[in-house]
Amino acid sequence: MEILYSVYEVLWFVFIVIAGIALIEGYFYYHFQFYDRRWFFPAALLGFPLAGAAGCFAMGLVTEPVRIFLWLLGSEGLIAPFFRHIVKGRSKLAYLLLAPAFIGLALLLVYPFVFEVYLSFSDLKLTTIMQWKNTGYLPFVGLRQYIDVFTTSPLSEVTFWALLGRTLWWTFINVFFHVAGGFTLALLLNNHIRFKGFYRTLLVIPWAMPQVVAVLAMRGEFHAQYGFINIMLGKLAAAYPFLAGLGLGPVQWLSNYPLTTCTLINIWLGIPFMMVVILGGLQSISSSYYDAADIDGASYLQKLRFITIPLIRPVMMPAVTLGTVWTFNNINVIYLVTGQSGGTERADILVSALYKAAFTYNRYSYSAAFAIVIFAILFFVSVFYLKSFDAAKEER
Amino acid sequence: MNKEAAAYRRKKFLKYLLIHAAIISFVVICVYPLLRILSVSIRPGDKLFSTDLALLPKGADFAAYVRLLKETLFLRWLWNSLLITVTTSFIGVSLASTAAYAFSRFKFGGKKGGLILLLSTQMIPAGMLILPLFLMIMKLGLMNTYLGIIIAYSVSSLPFSIWILKGYYDTIPRSLEEAALVDGTSQLGAFYRVILPLSTPALSIAFLFNFTTAWNEYLVARVVLFSSKQYTWTLGLFELQGQYITQWGMFAAGSMLVTIPVLAVFLYSSKWLISGLTLGSVKG
Repeated sequence: MEILYSVYEVLWFVFIVIAGIALIEGYFYYHFQFYDRRWFFPAALLGFPLAGAAGCFAMGLVTEPVRIFLWLLGSEGLIAPFFRHIVKGRSKLAYLLLAPAFIGLALLLVYPFVFEVYLSFSDLKLTTIMQWKNTGYLPFVGLRQYIDVFTTSPLSEVTFWALLGRTLWWTFINVFFHVAGGFTLALLLNNHIRFKGFYRTLLVIPWAMPQVVAVLAMRGEFHAQYGFINIMLGKLAAAYPFLAGLGLGPVQWLSNYPLTTCTLINIWLGIPFMMVVILGGLQSISSSYYDAADIDGASYLQKLRFITIPLIRPVMMPAVTLGTVWTFNNINVIYLVTGQSGGTERADILVSALYKAAFTYNRYSYSAAFAIVIFAILFFVSVFYLKSFDAAKEER
Repeated sequence: MNKEAAAYRRKKFLKYLLIHAAIISFVVICVYPLLRILSVSIRPGDKLFSTDLALLPKGADFAAYVRLLKETLFLRWLWNSLLITVTTSFIGVSLASTAAYAFSRFKFGGKKGGLILLLSTQMIPAGMLILPLFLMIMKLGLMNTYLGIIIAYSVSSLPFSIWILKGYYDTIPRSLEEAALVDGTSQLGAFYRVILPLSTPALSIAFLFNFTTAWNEYLVARVVLFSSKQYTWTLGLFELQGQYITQWGMFAAGSMLVTIPVLAVFLYSSKWLISGLTLGSVKG
């Protein structure tokens, strides 16, 4: 029965979405029908909102839904010139086709982003959230949240600058090992060997597993007593006493080295993606280059340095960029490893601290400002990066 | 001469032996944790905590699976995930398919701007939008409902899906549509009758991408859903794993049940997924 009810609920929602899209499309259609009539522009700009407002006041309805209606009519004044000047009659179909997707993006991606900027100048926290929910009142506090981001700790002890440093370190180490590991594996797999497809399938397993399962299972394997990593270390130390003399042995991974643990897990997760991308690049290199190099008597390292690396760079650059952004934004691994009650904050990077500040510490406005700061960092780095990328392209 | 050939062959054999050895050691690193989950999931209850490394435990049974299905809401979690995921993928793909068609076939003002906007939405860190989405969902009174989580998920893979589908539509020759137009159908009819059936592969890849993203999502679900009846399987497994000492066997059993179908689908579709991943970035 409950299952039927849940299906019903979701179908109802899908119906509402489709109906909403149909309404919006109908609205646009109506615009396309009339926007080039002479009376439409002044009517849309002035007439509709005034008529709507007058009608509402006449009926004495100035409650919440009516205000939204008025707001919609008012925005009509903006939409009408948009159609009049930008949309030519011939491409109306294109706009009709685009409308649903872009309305969805505007409501669920652009609006939240703008709302977050607005939020970062206000003061929303656990004590004021019920008031905000009921009345919509948000006290304006100017730049205070931004000052707080740099002067107080997002969590309980760690500072913003420590987090920033840790994030850069985390990103660098992870991407470095992803690329190095992926490159090695791809070179190994790119030989004419048996079972190639079979190996390749097995090697992508860490990437193919659901990340939540992979991280939680690995977290279990780093358990001090029952995880296989410590069991193996213990056995190694018992079998070879001189290794134990060097300090090898079971380690309290989760409590003493949380960041190392997260990094190891993330390296394990990330290598297959790089391997697959680089392998694709390697396979697209024509063997005639290597034949020519063989005739010239080039060594393996020379071939690697002067043929392979330059030729896979165009494939690598997008993958490395993507990997860097993914690693920088990786909340999943760190939160799943350290996010339980009593978890440590010594492994947190910027984004995971952001998540915890918002949902463990319930400091909403503070984390909004924190998010804007992180976004600004990422934005400037990527603009700088793209600029240098373009410059490198022009040099060639 | 013969000696030289033998030496050469031996050298070659050694080389391939080394390559195989290196690859196999990497394969072991990649596969061992998965096998370990499997092994934990079939351990008998009294041996759950052993420091034994054998992959096939003595007295293996499926008690953990039975307990998982009987004592927890695991099936309910799977059902919730399935419902949420299918709905979001359906919405995402249907929105993307029309938008991608507009980008692929029409010339209109703001086309380039729209494409750039799509790419730039990818620069917004996903973690950043969780907070405002959470507040919006709360304000709408949709906390702890399917609808709240569906709304939060529905556009997250939209830009990527549009890119994939646009790339695929671009490869379909225009003459097919023109033929349909000559036969008297409208532009929309041509899209519906010619382009959509032809692009089933790309549509299914976009659907799969939407599906896996939503299926494996954890962070948004964590803040929107809070009663264990509404949990998706990711939250459920996290809870089981949180109670580490008592539920490890059930956690492992649940992980296996979730992982096997995902692995199968991924391995089947990985070729296309990867080409799609690099497609957008190379063209951008």
